[in-house]
Amino acid sequence: MSKGNLFINGKQGDKGIVLGNEAIARGALEAGIGYASMYPGTPASEIIAALDKNKNNIENLYTEFSLNEHISLHGAIGASWSGIRSLCAMKNVGLNVASEPAQFLSYTGVKAGLVLAIGSDPGAPSSSNEQDDRWYSLHTYMPIIEPSNIQEAKDFTKEAFNISEDFSFGIMLMAPSRLCHNAGTLHFGDLRDRSNIKGNFKKDPENYLNLFNMAVKNHSKYLERHNLLKKYLEDSQFNYTVPPDTKKAGSKIGFISSGVIYAHLIEALDILEIYNHKILKLGFTFPIPDKLIKNFFEGLDKVVIVEEAEGFLEFQIKKMAYETGFRGEIHGKDIFKAAGELTLDDVIIGTGKFLEKAAPAFFDFAVKKSEELKEKLPQRSGTFCIGCPHRATIYSILKAVGFSNTDAKDRDVVIAGDIGCYTLGLLPPYNAMDFLTCMNAGLGIGQAISRFDKKKKVIALVGDSTFYHSGIPALLNAVQNNADILYVILDNSWTAMTGHQKTPSTQKDIDGTLSNNPVNLKDLIKSLGVSYIKSLDPNSVKRFASQVKSALKEPGVKVLIAKRECILQEVRRNKLTQKVSNVKIETAESLYEIQKSRCVKCNECFVELACPAIIPKRDNNENGEYYYIDPASCVRCGVCFEVCPNSAIRKVEFDLKSELNKKVDKVKLTEIKIQI
Amino acid sequence: MKRFNIAIVGLGGQGIITMGTVLKNAALDSDLQDVSGSERRGGAQREGYVETFVKYIFYEDNSELKDPKKNMHSPMIESGGADVLISLEPLETLRGAYYLNRNSTVILNEMPHIPISVRMGQTSYPELSYITCELEKITGKIFLYDFDKISLGNFNSLTQRNIIALGVLFAKTNIPIDKTVIENILSAGKGAKDNLEAFHIGLTL
Ligand SMILES: Cc1ncc(C[n+]2csc(CCOP(=O)(O)OP(=O)(O)O)c2C)c(N)n1
Ligand code: SF4
Ligand code: SF4
Repeated sequence: MSKGNLFINGKQGDKGIVLGNEAIARGALEAGIGYASMYPGTPASEIIAALDKNKNNIENLYTEFSLNEHISLHGAIGASWSGIRSLCAMKNVGLNVASEPAQFLSYTGVKAGLVLAIGSDPGAPSSSNEQDDRWYSLHTYMPIIEPSNIQEAKDFTKEAFNISEDFSFGIMLMAPSRLCHNAGTLHFGDLRDRSNIKGNFKKDPENYLNLFNMAVKNHSKYLERHNLLKKYLEDSQFNYTVPPDTKKAGSKIGFISSGVIYAHLIEALDILEIYNHKILKLGFTFPIPDKLIKNFFEGLDKVVIVEEAEGFLEFQIKKMAYETGFRGEIHGKDIFKAAGELTLDDVIIGTGKFLEKAAPAFFDFAVKKSEELKEKLPQRSGTFCIGCPHRATIYSILKAVGFSNTDAKDRDVVIAGDIGCYTLGLLPPYNAMDFLTCMNAGLGIGQAISRFDKKKKVIALVGDSTFYHSGIPALLNAVQNNADILYVILDNSWTAMTGHQKTPSTQKDIDGTLSNNPVNLKDLIKSLGVSYIKSLDPNSVKRFASQVKSALKEPGVKVLIAKRECILQEVRRNKLTQKVSNVKIETAESLYEIQKSRCVKCNECFVELACPAIIPKRDNNENGEYYYIDPASCVRCGVCFEVCPNSAIRKVEFDLKSELNKKVDKVKLTEIKIQI
Repeated sequence: MKRFNIAIVGLGGQGIITMGTVLKNAALDSDLQDVSGSERRGGAQREGYVETFVKYIFYEDNSELKDPKKNMHSPMIESGGADVLISLEPLETLRGAYYLNRNSTVILNEMPHIPISVRMGQTSYPELSYITCELEKITGKIFLYDFDKISLGNFNSLTQRNIIALGVLFAKTNIPIDKTVIENILSAGKGAKDNLEAFHIGLTL
């Protein structure tokens, strides 16, 4: 955000460029929240991060990065019952973890408004599934609000708190990545007075106690509230019909859509230059307004529902169409795919085909051209950052189990994957995981495999944040039931994958301040009854690999802690606290270089370790290609130095000050040119 | 209503998101102006494909601004919909080529980052000449620079390459935004001195 800090000081009349996630946070702030929590998850993380980083300048705001979603949603409920408006955010799969509190929320109702913001991830660019959480509302009865753009993200969030209080429901706000990470213009509103945000838990046994017949009574109460809300939504600002262009005759085909896909639809119709259809925009997609939809059906032969995933709206609308006697055609998932992200292109193509209107020539040309090109392009997948300690851990494990990284299927160990940056180890060149699903599936599924396949050793991986999330019971279960498994905790002190939130392992914050209560992971694990625990630096790859080997020979539950901070955070802290910056070559005090004369291109560093700072280079005046460490990107972790079997990599140390005084070196360094 | 669409592609860690943010902040000057555009963030990890869109919208008048068939904008750019494609990695330019049409301008960095598949010897990295040749089949407006080298040469660091590329955007295209607006944004932000210098280097390339 620009111009001072509009996020906390903005008022009616101000406008700024804001990220979707920040807009949601700002909406909550304008609604006067006093509680905000989440367990991090892409694409939702910035919702709470935006509030958390400003909390010292916002009166009476409590923020929390909770240990998991279950705890986080319970926290929001406790705040709401204490009269504090509360915002809880999570990614789509987070609701699986928080589904238990969510199942009870409609039974008990809320006191102060509660909004649950869900970041979904169609296409799964940052996830391990594509789940559409809107389906949860069919059994939790949590109403769903779906903003389409930045402005609505703020306005809807703000209004959702009032509706939450009026109808005593926690409201689910759906934000797919394309909204969370959209940035656009936001017109701010005024903030509520924050000085009177004070908690007071008023006992309410009628609603808060759910046992036997009390639960049944609460069940029928929320069904009643649901019907009241449904009625209210018939003519609320959230749902409305956009009429066809009056100049042309209206068509007998109408469109229904919501959220970001609605924005795609409007733009797609504009690109196709089609304006003679009426369009129903649904801001609330549960419950749906039956009468409004029935009126919309009037005069139509065909209705096209444009939405992502499996067709949550289509499911509901077909049911109500049957009940209300509409006998026209209803289309949706027969036109628009359920798997993968529904892009603007998909909506243009699907709508164009259905309406038999050709897309503009430039569009067809580009689609054809890119399909031609796509086949010829080498794939690119993400990998660990340069100098990431996870690379060293994965490399060491692969070396210890005796196989090169290219033949995962023949390995006689099972490597159980889990969720975090280290998950990137399942990609080439490492192919280091045999399965990957949800958080803590690694040890959970792995301990059973170890029980039934005695021929293979099982190694389960887990990150520190994932371990604290729900790994402790899984580990205790393994110990209590005598599993035979090696558990490697890749403790990099941060929840790295989702933008570096703190974990109980974090000892030093990014600005250098010490945490006041970091956990001693070793002690914690010991207290669970594990006797084989070793903690070591994964960057000492040889030592780590031999430790993996000896641990695999032992029976029972063994724990290895790969302890080294995420390099990105270390570099950031160094920069922030004005120590050396690894990014600027002129302040480097050491360099690693590959000596051409000794390097035989055995590929140990280049393919097996695969640090991206090691690149191939070709000089015009020399024959052939050689490997080269790019000093501008190398962070001098020294791992390649250790893995080289030919001692071809050497460390060059120099006295920075005197080198700089010579000046010549600066010139030499800046001349470094990388070629391929 | 007029649109001016910019697609920026490259790899995680190259400063793609920052470029988008700077450009979007330039859209606050008039009430008849709007901006939209999402980012594809590859998580914190490096070497993955990242893209961001900047879609400037200019309304003719207030009635268009209030027209629900005009005032809602997708966060994405359609195939062939980019007026400009900026790419900080040569191969990724081709991956982003589906945003191009015959009138698009392409600004690309010539410094390659080899993907793992090439490292493993499974595929080869296309020659730069192949890349530019494929682009030329679409548009004649191609501007190629070694932004890494220029950034290293001037700042001893790679971190300014994205802002240098922004300078080129203002020098070589008809982007309907005043460059002084960008200068103001850069001077109000972090690392103002280096960024302004980098922007000016880009303007003169
Ligand atoms: C239930 C659930 N909540 C949140 C996430 C989002 N998420 C993906 S990776 C990750 C953090 C992993 O942190 P850690 O285990 O410490 O590994 P690191 O990324 O630091 O290597 C989170 C929270 C998820 N995938 N599933
Ligand atoms: S962010 Fe940290 S943990 Fe994640 S890949 Fe980069 S260095 Fe590794
Ligand atoms: S020292 Fe070697 S492994 Fe470490 S970052 Fe530099 S090139 Fe990569």
